[in-house]
Amino acid sequence: MSHRYRATRSDARISDLKHRSGGTSRWSHCRKRGIDGSLRTHSDEDVDDGLSDSRHSSFTTPESAGPVSRCGRPSDWGSQVENEEMRQDVHRDMQRYRRRILGAEVSQRERKASSGSSGSCDSREGENIETDEAVLMRRQKQISYGKNTLAYDRYIKEVPKHMRQPGVHPKTPNKFRKYSRRSWDQQIKLWRVKLHAWDPPAEGSQENTLSDNIEELDLEDIVDIELDFPALADSENASTSLLVNSSSAEDQDYSSKG
Amino acid sequence: MENSSEDYRIQSFDVDTQKLLKTALKDPSSVDLEKVSNIIVDQSLKDPLFSKEAGRICYTIVQAEAKQNNGTVFRRHLLNRLQQEFKEREEMRKRSLQEWVGYVTFICNVFDYLKVNNMSMVALVQPVYECLMRLAEPDALLNEEEVDCLVLQLHRIGEQLEKVNSQRMDELFFLLRDGFLLQEGLTSMARLLLLEILEFRAGGWMLSSTAHKYYYSEIAD
Repeated sequence: MSHRYRATRSDARISDLKHRSGGTSRWSHCRKRGIDGSLRTHSDEDVDDGLSDSRHSSFTTPESAGPVSRCGRPSDWGSQVENEEMRQDVHRDMQRYRRRILGAEVSQRERKASSGSSGSCDSREGENIETDEAVLMRRQKQISYGKNTLAYDRYIKEVPKHMRQPGVHPKTPNKFRKYSRRSWDQQIKLWRVKLHAWDPPAEGSQENTLSDNIEELDLEDIVDIELDFPALADSENASTSLLVNSSSAEDQDYSSKG
Repeated sequence: MENSSEDYRIQSFDVDTQKLLKTALKDPSSVDLEKVSNIIVDQSLKDPLFSKEAGRICYTIVQAEAKQNNGTVFRRHLLNRLQQEFKEREEMRKRSLQEWVGYVTFICNVFDYLKVNNMSMVALVQPVYECLMRLAEPDALLNEEEVDCLVLQLHRIGEQLEKVNSQRMDELFFLLRDGFLLQEGLTSMARLLLLEILEFRAGGWMLSSTAHKYYYSEIAD
């Protein structure tokens, strides 16, 4: 009696199982969760290829847009594990960062207590921590892209930590501080631009490495160089038409005024 | 024989491939790691002995790459290739039982060896369970080869798997009990293996000394 009961029960389960693994229903279910993930796979692979065998392509892309912004669950195992790892790393870093702040606050409070003043800005730093996991992951990815360049390897090799000067050498933005999206992206951009100074010398072109005269270059110079190129090209092209147009533009200006 | 474990069983490859693998172990960034991952997976599908230990060579390459340039290129290619094979596992099983068993052995070995911050890779939990569940289906229980593979994997990684998803392990063991108790046509060897694994898990992923004596004492002599 009970035997037969078990038999039917197991039959049902077996056919249920057949159902599951015969068609890929269960697993494909899992993959469907990230339909946009299939799109991502391609762009992720592109990025990865760029980093693995021809890193040079990444030298000219300080832009932070790209696969960075997508934070859904990727469909391929490789990316899933990478995300998992990054999430854990970010959380571990955050604990570390909090401990450090806590330590700093405690010593600050002690100093304050001894001097008798009651400062109210003690927990200031603590409130400024970015805790949104999605934001932190996105930022970490941007930082990783920057660090995963030959320029960065050369930089940390050539300039030991204690030799780095604020304003002169690139400093990785602090992902745990609260910043607006725009401010953060700008910081990343400037950081990447600065890191380009350590790009390996291009083959065939003049051999003098930029890093040799890095002392003379400061942030504004490099930014200007970057920003000037398109502007220069534009103005050259436009210079003739500008002359022609200027009069008519002025005319229009006057006519609108008059 | 001592050396074989040292050399990650790579003597069975041709000379060029051996050289490539040795370089991958020492200086991973200088070789095509996608090619390396494909070689290792292909060999695992071909050579049952290799698949049992291939996780170790993967582990070493992953470590070396991480140390060298914080890279994860090899792991990414390895996992994605495993995923590709996973999608076609039913065809693989029909095509060649040996390949299928090699695949399951390998993916379980990778699950065992490769960790992320000392924790099992979540992405592999579901696939590994799917493979083991497949081995516990009635048609697979009729193949001693598959039963043997199933219980070996459970001996190795059963406890870890249960920790990440105990419900799934319960489901798997429902199947195993039913198989042991109700399925017709099982060889006595298959029944013995199933009984042992049932006892093994019931004892907290350990055999009591009397159970151990029962299953192994005569073989040991």
